[in-house]
Amino acid sequence: MAISSTYLSNPALTINSVDLSDQCTSAVINYVSEQLENTTFSNTSRSFTSGLFSNSITVTLYQSYAASETEASIYSLVGTTTTITMSPTAAGLTTPSATAPKYTLTGAFLSAHTPINASLGELSTIDLTFSGGVLTKAVA
Amino acid sequence: MYQYFIISPRLGTPGDQFIPEDGVNIDALLDGGLISTDTAKKSSKVKSEPKEQ
Repeated sequence: MAISSTYLSNPALTINSVDLSDQCTSAVINYVSEQLENTTFSNTSRSFTSGLFSNSITVTLYQSYAASETEASIYSLVGTTTTITMSPTAAGLTTPSATAPKYTLTGAFLSAHTPINASLGELSTIDLTFSGGVLTKAVA
Repeated sequence: MYQYFIISPRLGTPGDQFIPEDGVNIDALLDGGLISTDTAKKSSKVKSEPKEQ
């Protein structure tokens, strides 16, 4: 029996059009439909229907204060909305396919950023969560 | 009308015009120094006033 699995290798990420792939160490896309209960007396089991979508993307980036790096790209996004794109492969961002889909979250809100999140002698990282927005998946 | 030009190679080739996609936060890119603005250049065919002799 063939087993197909995926490990993340050389994925690509842009935040607000800025390619931050080489600063990113992890990413999670949450594609969520809120569940609304519509169970009635006629049901013997709980029943649900789809409500609003509540999508989000969480990323971990190495912090860098150099020109064009993490801090310059992220700081002014706090309290605003932006677009994030991600693909399991670098090529997927420009030429998405069924095996390298491109996910785009448009209108995602960034509420918080930690400009300094560091421990002595360790590489500084920041965790960002972009909430809300419309998630689309492109395969061509 | 503003035109935007790429400064950071993270956005493309520096010097090229930057055409924002839907939902991109231009102000944040400007604040971060990742792109620059330039007002659209007017025609250079405007005649200057003749010099008095």
